[in-house]
Amino acid sequence: MFKEFLKELNGRRVEGEMLKTAVVSLLTSAIFLIGIYFLSLKNISEFIPKYGLDLFFISLSYALIILVVRQIRAYKEFACMSGMMIGMTLGMISSFLIGFYVASINGMFFGGFFGIAVGFLFGIWNGKCCGIMGIMEGMMAAFMGGLMGAMTAFMLINDHLKIAFILVFIISAIIMVGLNYMVYKETKEREREIKEGYFSVIVLTFVLMAITTWFIVFGPRGGIFA
Amino acid sequence: MKNTTIAVIIGLVLVIGGIFFFANAQSISGDYNNQNSNTSQASQNGNVQKVVLSLKNYNYYPNMITVKAGEPVSISLDNSIQGCYRYFAIPQLNLGKALPTPSDTLDFTPTQKGTYRFQCGMGMGYGTLIVE
Repeated sequence: MFKEFLKELNGRRVEGEMLKTAVVSLLTSAIFLIGIYFLSLKNISEFIPKYGLDLFFISLSYALIILVVRQIRAYKEFACMSGMMIGMTLGMISSFLIGFYVASINGMFFGGFFGIAVGFLFGIWNGKCCGIMGIMEGMMAAFMGGLMGAMTAFMLINDHLKIAFILVFIISAIIMVGLNYMVYKETKEREREIKEGYFSVIVLTFVLMAITTWFIVFGPRGGIFA
Repeated sequence: MKNTTIAVIIGLVLVIGGIFFFANAQSISGDYNNQNSNTSQASQNGNVQKVVLSLKNYNYYPNMITVKAGEPVSISLDNSIQGCYRYFAIPQLNLGKALPTPSDTLDFTPTQKGTYRFQCGMGMGYGTLIVE
């Protein structure tokens, strides 16, 4: 069954568009960051050493989240159990990843609540595919993931945080592939309900990257990061 | 373009980008302490050895303190230290105390020579106390 899923990554269903979605999202982030760097951020001393690794992983995280969102949106509605799992996974992973990377710059309080906000957005948006239960699950997972991600980054500040950046992303990516596979299994007998172009991917990536970049570069900092 | 080609391109970009940013990233990691460890002798005030710690690059500064055995030591934390770093502990000596203001001190008299680890309440900030 998993082999069939891998074959579909080259197929005509929405799974065949997932890698392209990741490329579009990464390109949007890269163009945005390169543009804003040469327009304004290059004047900030040591911008790349301070923020480069964070922004790199934040771009990857949004690409990872947005490709899953595209797959889920294509089928619109799910059974309760699947919808709850979708809301929980997206709420948890998005809030954990963003909370983790933002907290390593802005501190636990601001990183945690920024992560929760992002997790709420994705958890509610995708959890509503099965109604209020998915929404509730998405919100609860975002609440937990945001604080956990931020706390993990904060506690690792003097203990191999850079390596944790990579490991946290890899683990999250594996979980997201699991969700892709689950959605594929649930929907392989169904027809796609929504067909969208890549404009929404570009807009969503741009808006999220703009807000996150502003927040980590110019936003408030707490505790030992002040 | 086939999706496998796209996947290979994404993989290459990730590896190259990852190596570049990883190599250039500021030391927001455990290697900071090895590169920037610093030693300080406690200042003598009467017969009390006074140590004032501050915060630098997310850790106590100085993070290596030398004191004399058998003489009282008084450790305080300045205003730059915040959050859980204000709980100061030396676990091997069974010492630990919250020092919420710069005037609060952890007072003790080391009796045995040796090297002891000091740390914040959760072990995130840390350093070494050398008793000579």
